[in-house]
Order: sequence, then structure tokens, then C-alpha cells
Amino acid sequence: MNEEALLARASEERERIFQRYERGRENLVGQIDPWEDPEFEEYHKTDRYGFIHDERLPQKTGIQKVNIEVEREKKWVKMLNNWDLQTTKEKLHRRIYKGIPNSLRIKVWCKLMEVNRIKSANPGKFQEMLKLAKLWSTDVRQIDSDVNRQFREHQFYRERYSEKQCSLFNVLCAYSMYNSEVGYCQGMSGLAGVLLMYMDEEDAFWALAVLLSDKKYAMHGLYIEGFPKLTRFLEHHDKILTKFMPKLKHHFDKFGLDAILYSLKWFFVCFVERVPFSLCLRVWDIYLLDGERVVTAMAYTILKLHKKAIMKLNDMDLIVNYIQVKLHKDFGFEDDIVIYHLERSMEELKRAKLDYPGPPPPNELPKRQLGTFVEPDKKSKIGQRAENFSETEKQARATVILRREKAAMELQDLRVSQSDTVSEHSGVAGGIRCDDSVSALGSRRSLADTSVTSTADLSVFSSGRSHAPDNSLDTHSNVSDDATGSDGSGICGLSIQRAPSTTHSTPRATPHPPSVSPMSDDVVRIHVTYNPLAASPSHLHPISPAKYKAYTEEHHKPVSLGFYTTNGATNLHSDNRIRIQVPSEELLTPVVDSGRIITPRFIESHSEIYDLK
Amino acid sequence: MATNRSGAAQRPNGAPQTKVCQFKLVLLGESAVGKSSLVLRFVKGQFHEYQESTIGAAFLTQTVCLDDTTVKFEIWDTAGQERYHSLAPMYYRGAQAAIVVYDITNQDTFGRAKNWVKELQRQASPSIVIALAGNKSDLAAKRMVEFEEAQAYADENGLLFMETSAKTAMNVNDIFLAIANKLPKSEGGGAGAAGARRLGDAEQPRSTSCCK
Repeated sequence: MNEEALLARASEERERIFQRYERGRENLVGQIDPWEDPEFEEYHKTDRYGFIHDERLPQKTGIQKVNIEVEREKKWVKMLNNWDLQTTKEKLHRRIYKGIPNSLRIKVWCKLMEVNRIKSANPGKFQEMLKLAKLWSTDVRQIDSDVNRQFREHQFYRERYSEKQCSLFNVLCAYSMYNSEVGYCQGMSGLAGVLLMYMDEEDAFWALAVLLSDKKYAMHGLYIEGFPKLTRFLEHHDKILTKFMPKLKHHFDKFGLDAILYSLKWFFVCFVERVPFSLCLRVWDIYLLDGERVVTAMAYTILKLHKKAIMKLNDMDLIVNYIQVKLHKDFGFEDDIVIYHLERSMEELKRAKLDYPGPPPPNELPKRQLGTFVEPDKKSKIGQRAENFSETEKQARATVILRREKAAMELQDLRVSQSDTVSEHSGVAGGIRCDDSVSALGSRRSLADTSVTSTADLSVFSSGRSHAPDNSLDTHSNVSDDATGSDGSGICGLSIQRAPSTTHSTPRATPHPPSVSPMSDDVVRIHVTYNPLAASPSHLHPISPAKYKAYTEEHHKPVSLGFYTTNGATNLHSDNRIRIQVPSEELLTPVVDSGRIITPRFIESHSEIYDLK
Repeated sequence: MATNRSGAAQRPNGAPQTKVCQFKLVLLGESAVGKSSLVLRFVKGQFHEYQESTIGAAFLTQTVCLDDTTVKFEIWDTAGQERYHSLAPMYYRGAQAAIVVYDITNQDTFGRAKNWVKELQRQASPSIVIALAGNKSDLAAKRMVEFEEAQAYADENGLLFMETSAKTAMNVNDIFLAIANKLPKSEGGGAGAAGARRLGDAEQPRSTSCCK
């Protein structure tokens, strides 16, 4: 099919989808596929928020609680009438942490997000965007397929093309034009879906706009290409775990479980479909009041409350299932208790100066003027997949991979530091066969055994290893001592020596981003042989270019061996650590042959001293 | 595929002495073609009409017993939206098997599936076992991709191919079993082997037998 035909087909599809939502359920009788619209079974329980349950409701709201809520409503009505008064502002915090009465939630949320202000400042904008979307949006198909599965167990969204389904479609389509950098990203249907449970179409649109672009929430950075805010918040989350729950962190690391896997929706949609809906609303109440800090603190609180149970689970899928599915069905704690702990967590994190990863850097903020029309390019019109990844995407992926490998390394360090016996003599690991995960781990261990205080990070030493590095998210290979690798032919050499150290207290990774990195006096001698290949990741800073140059000239190696320190990098914290970047074929095109190495590499061993100072 | 094997996937019945191999398998394909539904059917025997959209990726495991081997699949279920595509290589790196899924009622999804196959052939391990699944075969009345067309494409590219239905469970266990059969399970992985990791003592699954 030629380009024109493809364009025509895409625009036809967009129109077809749009028309169905415009006509709505009443006008589509007999035209809705049965699979899209299952018969309403006779009688189901509908909870107070509108969710339909197959079974008996998990908990009943006690009469006492309802009475309390009625009492609170009276106070809230008064407060809403005097919103701008100082006394209201004083009471707001305490009352919101107690929970906004459900019947008044819509009003309070709109006030907190100042929906009216932005709406009245942009008259007609929503309709304009919706019209543009009908002509131009390239996200219609994706939005359609997500509307078809978002909150289908809720009475508003249960019927295909119901009023609220149509509203959800409209809000997301209009927004995809309003903010052309984000367009539509999966996850946003959850946000808009919740807003629409309480608001009408236009209010929900503006509320969504506030959540994404107001600096208090700044969710824009979560949804754009490369997910930079997600990366930043996950790193911060890991820091918190390392400081406050190191055992749990190691438990996760032991199974290669990266936070991106279990906590993505916490950050992306503020706990929607990850905790029971009643609790989710309570968290949203507070999130709308206090902003980003709440998400970080809630993530911490969930793990804190369930640490014991999670520590008992010895499999990655069991842990993930517990955190994502079990806690959604039944959190195991009353909402009030959880909120109490959330508030404590916020204080605790604040004391440790870990409550906030900081304001969004420029790359997380909208660059284009919101609400201005940008014509999509041909490729996205047709819906073609990009052939190659952009730099941002590559970097996003590299960051996650590095994070995993760093975690694996730290776990290894910990194991070594816990063991009293030093099994290998220092500096004897030269010329190890790095042909599988075993020897790669062996080399790491010997490195760590050399000194528990110097932590040269060889985590990216991946070109010669076949299995472990290729499975940075793999359950076992990075951490198992017993994994039996298969035959391989790739060979690389590695050995480590540490010069006498003047101090034994090496600052470990600190919970704060190191502005000035403390260095110990450790000197690490590293012998590395390999076949250097590709370019370096842009977020790591090469160190000692002069030495590097001398090295490469002396040994006539291609100029692509990269020595890096992570000290200059803002998003990695590892003091006193050399990162040796040994790119594989292409850093981001990993070799995945797990049994053998495709290109054997062996270069005779050389040594060079790198003084970290 | 023998019928008794379909049952074996959900209730494997292996002898305690069997060899246990572990494989990483990744599901790829356009959004809403039924990747998560296939996994859910295979792992839990369930089907949800409105499977929550996968954001990022999901991880599940399932064990199947072959004649002399127990195969533990580590299944990485990925998000279908283009934007998440950049994260996909994180999941398929190191994968020994992949199921590329399309929806038989949507021609575009078949085109996307071909792109995924191309990407795997270019970037993944040369020995990766790739299966093509034409899902939603229960909606054959609305078919837009002919069986023969997909079969021919699969043959050309050396892919396993089946039409599946997560809803009716048709061919779901079978496609996983076909993959399990095709994966090399020899210890130490002979020439060209994808090198299953045989689990050592310390890494045995929760019970001594392979059954959950």
C-alpha cells in the first residue's frame, strides 16, 4: 500500500471510531459487538463508589463511619463556602488527611486543582481541541482500545459507548491535541477515568491538564518519550529503600526485581488499581493538596507496612503479584491506619531530607506551548513504528539497565562484606574466562574480595559475559552463585589489585545526590582486557582523558575504551567508584545469546593505575 | 500436539528427578491484541474480557512438564503502546523465546507483528525461538488476516505459528508447549543452543517436584 492509501485508511479509521462515540450507546443499538458489551448480569453488588463486584463486598462501611462522614460533611460545607479564609487554610491539612467526604469530593478536588480558574481562562478551548482531535489526533485508536477496558467494572464505564465512556474518549482525544508532546500515553485513561467519576467532561479535561502541567503534580514528565520523571522518582525511591529498608531492597535485588516492575502504576497513575479504590481516593485527596511528595511517601509506606509479608515471598512473580494484585484487592489495613502511616512517613522522609526528589528539570516540562496545534508528521499519522530509538529512549533504557546492574553489584558487595572468610587472594583473577555468568560473577567476587571498601563497579562489564549481563532484569542470573552456565568461547581477562589504602571507611552510596563527592584514598589497579567497541552513554562522564589517550596509544587499541566515573552524573550516586564501560556491539543492542559468545574476544592483559583522586 | 499435554501445562505432573530448565520468554505485539490475556490463560487458566492494559511490563512464571524435562517459563509480558517500545529490549534481552502476537481481526496488528519479528531477528539472540500467535480466533467471523497468509509468513521466517484464543483457551497451552519442545534443553547447551539454565540445588523451585 502506498503512503497516500495508508494515510487515507488511517484517517478513515479515526473518523469511524470518532463517529461511534459521537452517536453514543442509544444510537448504536445492534451495532455493538457482543464481545465489547457483555450482558449485564442480573444483580451484582455495587459499592458506594460505583464499582460492581462479583461477590459480597469485602468490607461494609459501618453505620458509625457513615455518621462520622455526615458530621464531617457539615463542616466541609462551611469550609467550602469560606474557602479563601485563613481559618480554612489552617484546617485544610488536618481535615483532608481525615478524608474528604465522598459527596463533596468533586467540589474540593476542583478547588484544590483550581479547575475553574484555568477553565475560565481558556473559554472554548476544550471544544476546539476536541474538534482538532477529530481531524488530526493520531492517538485515537489507542485511546479507543483503552476506553474499551478502563474501569469496565464500574457502573459508569460498564456499557460500551455509555455516556461516561464517551466522555473519557473525548477528554483523552482532546488532551492528545492540547499537549502534543504527550499526546496520549497508556495510564492517562486511569487518571481521566477517576476524574470523570466525579467531574463532567470539561472539568475533567482541565483537571487532567492541571495534573500534567502544574508544577505541584508535574505528571507531564512521566508520560513523555523516555519517561524521565519516572526514572528520577524510581531512583529516589530506591534511595529511600536503601536507607530505611535495606533488607527489603536486597530482597528485591536478590530476585532481580527492579522497582519499575512493581511500582510503575504507583507513580504513573497515583495508585489507581494498585490499592483498593477507597484508599486510592484518600491518597488522591492528599496528593491534590500536597503534590508529588505524597506519591514518594505512599510508595514507601506501602512497602513499610507490608515488608514482613514480602520478605517471606521467595519468587519474583509472587512478590509482584502480592504488591500489584493482592494489595489492590485487599490492602490488609484500614484506610485510616494507612493514612496515619503515610503522614508519619512524610515526616520521617522530611527529617531525612528524602521527601522530595526535587523540582522537575527542564526536560520534564512541556516545551511547546500547550493548546497550540501542531500537525503530526506522516509517520505518526499512518501509525508507523519508528525504526530506531531516539537518544532519549536509548538513555532511558540504559538508565534502567545500569540501575539493575548496580543493584546486583551492591548485593554482591553485601554478601562479601557479610562473609568473614576471604576466599580468594587479591589480584589473582587476571585472565578469567568470562564465558558465562559463573565466571563473570567469579570475577566480580574476586574484585569485591580484594577489598570491601573499594568498590570498582564492573557492572557494565558486559561484552564478554553472555548470560548475566543480558539479563539485567532476570530473576537469578545476576545474583545466583549456583547458576550453571553453558559452554562459551568468549574470553576476556580481568584482574584487580588494590593499593594499600589509608582509610577503611569508604563512603558508600549516600542517600543524597552527591554534589561534592567524598573520595577515599583507595587506589584500585585494574587490569582489563577486552575488545573495545562502541560509543559511550552520554550521561556518564569520561575521566582522565589524558591517561586514557596514553593508554590507547601505548597499546594501539581502538579509541573506544571508556572509563567513567559516575560522580559527575546527577542520577547515579556512587562515591569512590570507577565505572568501566565496555560497550557491547551497541550498548543498547545487547547480545542475547545466552549459551555462547558470538564474537570471541581476547586481548592480552595490560595494566594501568587509575587514581580516583 | 497431544491433548494430554494441554492439561499438563496447568497441572504439571513431573517426576521429582526430572531435569529442570528455565527459560525467559517475552510477549510482543501491538496494543490490545491479547498478550496479557494469553499469559493469564496460560498461567492461571483465567480470562478477563477487559484485561487491564499493561503499563510497562508484567512478569509471571509457569512450569510445564515435558517427557523428561521440566520447563520453567519466566514470562515477560510487555506493553503494546509504541511509547513503551523503547523499554521492550530491556525485557527481550536474554530471552530464549518470544511470542509475537497479532489480532486476526485487525490487519494492522499483523503488520506490526512482522516488525517485531524483524526486530527480534536483528537484535535478539540468533538462536531465539520465535512463535507467532494469531489471537482472537474465536472472532473468526471478523477475520481480516487469513490463516494461510500468516502460515506462509511463519514458514518463510522459521517461526512456530498457531492461531490462538485466550478466551476459549484454544491453542494457548499448545503454543507454549511447542516452544518448550523446540527450546534446546541439553546441559551446557550444544552448538547453537540457547543454553537453558539448569537450576542448581539452591535454585530449585519452591517444591522438590516441579509441580506448584
